Amino acid sequence: MREVVRREFNRYYSGLEAEELRVPEMPKREFAFLQFGGEVMIRHMKFNDPASLKGYIVENTPAHIYHSSAYYKTPDAVDMNEKGWQSADLVFDVDSDHIRTVCKEKHDRWRCMECGREGLGFPPESCPNCSMKKIDTRTWICEDCLEAAKKEVIKVIDEYLIPDFGIGGSDFDVFFSGHRGYHIHVRSESVRALSGDGRREIADYVRGIGLDVRSHGFRDVKNEILVGPDMKDGGWRGRIARAVYEFVNRSSFVELKEVVAPNVAKNLSENKEKFLKNIASDPPYWGGLKGYTLESLEKIALASIKDLVCNIDERVTIDSKRLIRCPNSLHGKSALKTLRVGYSNIDDFDPLKEAVAFRRGSIRVYVKEAPRVRIGDDELGPLDDKTLEVPLALGLYLICRGAAEPR
Amino acid sequence: MSLMLTKEDLAKYPFLKESATFVESLQLDLSDLATEEYSCVLMKALARIRNGIDRTAKPVDLSDPETEILAYPLSLAFVYGSKSNWLLNRFATVEAKRVEEELRREPEGKLVEIAELGFAWDIQQENLKLEWEELSFSMPVHAYLEAATGFNDTHWKLINRYVKGGRVFLNSGSLSRLISEGFKMKIIRRGAERELADFRLPEALRRHLDEIMKYAQRNAQYDEKLPQGLVSDARPPCIVAIMEDVKAGKSLSHMARFALTTFMVNVGEGVDEVLKLFGNVADFDEGKARYQIEHIAGMIGSKTKYKPPKCDVLRSFGLCVGMNESCRNAKHPLNYYRRELKRMSRFGGQVDARGRKKRV
Ligand code: SF4
Ligand SMILES: [Zn+2]
Ligand SMILES: [Zn+2]
Repeated sequence: MREVVRREFNRYYSGLEAEELRVPEMPKREFAFLQFGGEVMIRHMKFNDPASLKGYIVENTPAHIYHSSAYYKTPDAVDMNEKGWQSADLVFDVDSDHIRTVCKEKHDRWRCMECGREGLGFPPESCPNCSMKKIDTRTWICEDCLEAAKKEVIKVIDEYLIPDFGIGGSDFDVFFSGHRGYHIHVRSESVRALSGDGRREIADYVRGIGLDVRSHGFRDVKNEILVGPDMKDGGWRGRIARAVYEFVNRSSFVELKEVVAPNVAKNLSENKEKFLKNIASDPPYWGGLKGYTLESLEKIALASIKDLVCNIDERVTIDSKRLIRCPNSLHGKSALKTLRVGYSNIDDFDPLKEAVAFRRGSIRVYVKEAPRVRIGDDELGPLDDKTLEVPLALGLYLICRGAAEPR
Repeated sequence: MSLMLTKEDLAKYPFLKESATFVESLQLDLSDLATEEYSCVLMKALARIRNGIDRTAKPVDLSDPETEILAYPLSLAFVYGSKSNWLLNRFATVEAKRVEEELRREPEGKLVEIAELGFAWDIQQENLKLEWEELSFSMPVHAYLEAATGFNDTHWKLINRYVKGGRVFLNSGSLSRLISEGFKMKIIRRGAERELADFRLPEALRRHLDEIMKYAQRNAQYDEKLPQGLVSDARPPCIVAIMEDVKAGKSLSHMARFALTTFMVNVGEGVDEVLKLFGNVADFDEGKARYQIEHIAGMIGSKTKYKPPKCDVLRSFGLCVGMNESCRNAKHPLNYYRRELKRMSRFGGQVDARGRKKRV
């Protein structure tokens, strides 16, 4: 079955302009490959230009192609210490698998390997029946998952990278990973030298980890007299102020009561307008409500930032030696392309259409089981135990996902 | 020399001088410095190291800046020549403390210049007035992170700073602290470099080194007798989880490292034991780790022994791995541990000196 996929991958790469495989500062990058059916990564390869990379790929037809986020003096040295790490891009990884979307109820399933309990949707951390943590999942993606991932990407960029970190449009690229999510590569000189600890601080920053509201200007001057940040302030300072404003504005008494003590919730919802006017005034005034202390404010602040923090895979951001997918290479688990997304057009970007690599032809497959799937303009499912002729991209997708076999 | 900086400044801030090549350039001259002619330089250098051992940050003698300027590399030569991380850390800490105190007295424009010449940090003067403080400087995020990741207090976390347009806004106290930390790291990093491994102090100076080490032994005994070592069965779940990550070679967050180290130190493990524990971790850097552990154990720096963070804090950093029965009443991992120890001794079985449970 892999033969078909391999053959089609090879056809794709043979027809590709070498230039499409270019990676910035190629001679300093390590390249790595995973073969079809292979478990061991072929690593420590070096290519000085796109043509030699293409030559290697066409000859070997790997299932996955990666390059290092790092820049090395000797990228092909086998010993990590001999490679001579110089710097590395800062990478953010958004994976729709980690985002709780309602559509997961429709296409995802999990099963406890211990007791066999099964369920639909986002997998629980441990089995509700036997509380073991060995959970097997069968996950799919759909437009909604990918849309949710895209929203996270936009959040990272618009809410954090641009205003707080001053990273401009020419300093980063966004890529659709070819399967479940997106990557942001930041290449500006200022981030490249960051240490692992420094990268972790940036990951914590966008994830809202370790936030201490007292460091952002909240103080009790006297009983129930509080000062605090201005919504116009930069960074997390202004972000908290705006978040609290919006949270109090949209929350009912019942919702507030889940966060603070009932009497505070009552006071707050009865005097909502005055409270909001006060924090919006110049300078802002945060207190004056009975029972309303720094502690209650802290609780509200932490509750209100929940939607503002970014759902990224922090391990990727922290790692200064990560292997990431090559642009325009194929993802061996989807047969879709890793594709650069122009950030100005990201709203209209439809990954399941634009990342399709095989636009012509069809293939006959036997489908074991699949939920509704769309690739390009073609849709199918849910269905099981059927043999049918489908467009090539869709067929390869199902085969790569392990849900179908060529017939 | 720049417009604003004087010879006194070079004496106060030795990191401004090109000290990078000092070993090579001084190797020949080092023995000269042992001669009668330079005896005051030698005296100054030795006094400076003793200050380090005593943890007293004395200002440099500005009546004779040239001697101080020469004395600094000589004291560094002793410190590196001693091959003692303990001495290196002490010396760097006190030098940094001294520099911080000096910096706090400087006008704003000078701070900018010092940071620029010492570390190539692009500092700008700002005029950001907040409710009750004024942030009069800004620096690039990456430069900030170079130094600030060495601190454990939450208010140094980037997320708790005023960050805008790629810059971190600071008051002058914070900037002084960062510069002095940058200086400390420079001294310590240099000590870990390969070329320094072969550095030997000239024969003529060895006698003085021996005296310094004797002085250290007399005056800086590691104080407290630490209690027994770790009793595995009494560990709280959060610590167990972190230790498992360590075993698996995963790289630990700053907080996880801090929690584990403080915990180990507080249950009476020695620096070497804690170091051994970390040996597996992917991004392990022994020099740096030893320094951090000694700092946490209160052997160097502020001399306070750090406690692990409270459960609340661990929870907010995602390190509390779900509480078990005994966790319920513990607000602190050490609390948990002490109680478990008590409970275990009640149920028979003693705890031996290395902390392993003995069956009776
Ligand atoms: S409750 Fe405290 S002691 Fe228990 S696991 Fe959580 S952090 Fe550790
Ligand atoms: Zn189960
Ligand atoms: Zn979905």
